[in-house]
Amino acid sequence: MTDNLEQLIKEAVEKALEGDMDAINNIEDRVTRSKAKAALVKAKREAAKEKPEVSSDESDSTQDSAKIKTSNENIAELIIQQFPEDINKDLSSEGHIQIHPKNWMAIAKYLRDDPACLFDSLQCITGVDLGEESDLEVRYNLHSMTHLHAIEVRITCSRNNAKVPSVESIWRIGDWFERETYDMYGIEFDGHRDLSRILLPEDWEGWPLRKDYDVQETYHGIVVPKVKEGWE
Amino acid sequence: MGVFENKFQDNVVVASLDKLLGWARSTSPWFFQFGLACCAIEMMATAASRHDLMRIGMLPRSSPRQADVMIVAGTVTLKMALRVKKLYEQMANPKYVISMGSCATSGGPYWQHGYHVLKGVDLVVPVDVYVPGCPPRPEALIEGLLKLQEKIQSDRPLTRKIA
Repeated sequence: MTDNLEQLIKEAVEKALEGDMDAINNIEDRVTRSKAKAALVKAKREAAKEKPEVSSDESDSTQDSAKIKTSNENIAELIIQQFPEDINKDLSSEGHIQIHPKNWMAIAKYLRDDPACLFDSLQCITGVDLGEESDLEVRYNLHSMTHLHAIEVRITCSRNNAKVPSVESIWRIGDWFERETYDMYGIEFDGHRDLSRILLPEDWEGWPLRKDYDVQETYHGIVVPKVKEGWE
Repeated sequence: MGVFENKFQDNVVVASLDKLLGWARSTSPWFFQFGLACCAIEMMATAASRHDLMRIGMLPRSSPRQADVMIVAGTVTLKMALRVKKLYEQMANPKYVISMGSCATSGGPYWQHGYHVLKGVDLVVPVDVYVPGCPPRPEALIEGLLKLQEKIQSDRPLTRKIA
C-alpha cells in the first residue's frame, strides 16, 4: 500500500515539475495530496540549489561589475574636483563623505545646484557625540528627487567651540533641523537666522544629548530628583 | 429622619445641607479637557460613547474656569509642568486633580533617564486620586473617577475643619 502511494506521489511530482499541477490536485486523499505537495516543494528547492552552482562563473563576473561606486563615492569625487581642500578622504567611506566645516556653505550650494548632483531635499540633520574626550559631529542626509541618489555628509567640530556653517538658507527645512541639533548638542550654526532652542524651554541649562550632560537639580523651583539608591 | 418622619409628602427628601452640597458636587464633576500623551487617547475613549462618562455626570470642558476636575493624562515635561500649574491655578474652587497613568504619577518609564520629565505631577499640584496603568484602561479611569466622587461626597464644605 505505502509503496503504491509513494509511486503515486512520485509520478504526480514529476508531472507537476513539467507544469501539470492537476496531477497533484486530483489526488483525492488529503494526506497523500499534501505529501505530494511537500515533495514538490522539496524537489523545486533542490533544483534551485543546483542552479547557482552551474552559474557560479557568471556570478563572479557580475560581482565585479557590481562593484559600482556608491553615490557617496561618486559625489565625493565631484566635490574633490571643485573643492580639493575641503574633503577628508581618509575618513570618508562608501557610506558617507567627511567634509571640513570651512567651506561647507559653498559645497552645499554646489550640491544643490550642480546638474550632476541636484540634491533638492535635505532629509535629516542630526548630531552625534563621539565621546566625552572626543568631538561632536553633524550629519546631513541629502537626497535628489531628479537623480534618485542619496548621500550622507559628516562634519566634525570641536566640543568646546562647536561651530558649523548653517545651510538653512540653502535648504529651508534646515531651519528646524539645525535648531533641534543646537537644542540637543549645543552646536552653533553660523549664519542661521533664528538659532534658538526648539523643543526645550528657552531658559534650559545644558545640552541634553551630550555625553557629559548633567541633569539640572531644580527647574523653576521644581526639584528634579536624581536617581535614588536601589532604583537602578 | 426622626422628627421629620411623616411630616412631609413623599417626594420630599430631608438631608443636611452639607451632605446635599457634597452629593450635588459629586454627581457633576466636569473635567478639564486636555491631554499630554498617550493616556489622553484612553481618556478620550472613556469620554466616548462606549464608556460614556456622561452617565456619571462628567463632561469635558475646554476652559479651566468651567472645570472642576483636572485629569493629568500623560507625561508631564518640566516645560509643561509650569503650564499645568498655571492651569490648575486658573480653575475655580473647589477643584480636584486626577493623576492618570504612570508618567503623571511618578515619571513612569522616564523615572531614571528622562532629564526633561517631571517625576510626578504631585510635585506641582495637589493630587486627589492616582490611577495606575500605562496607560490605564477606560475602566480604570472610571474607577478613579468614582473614587473621586466618593471623596467629593465625603467633603463637608460648610463644616468648619478643626486643625
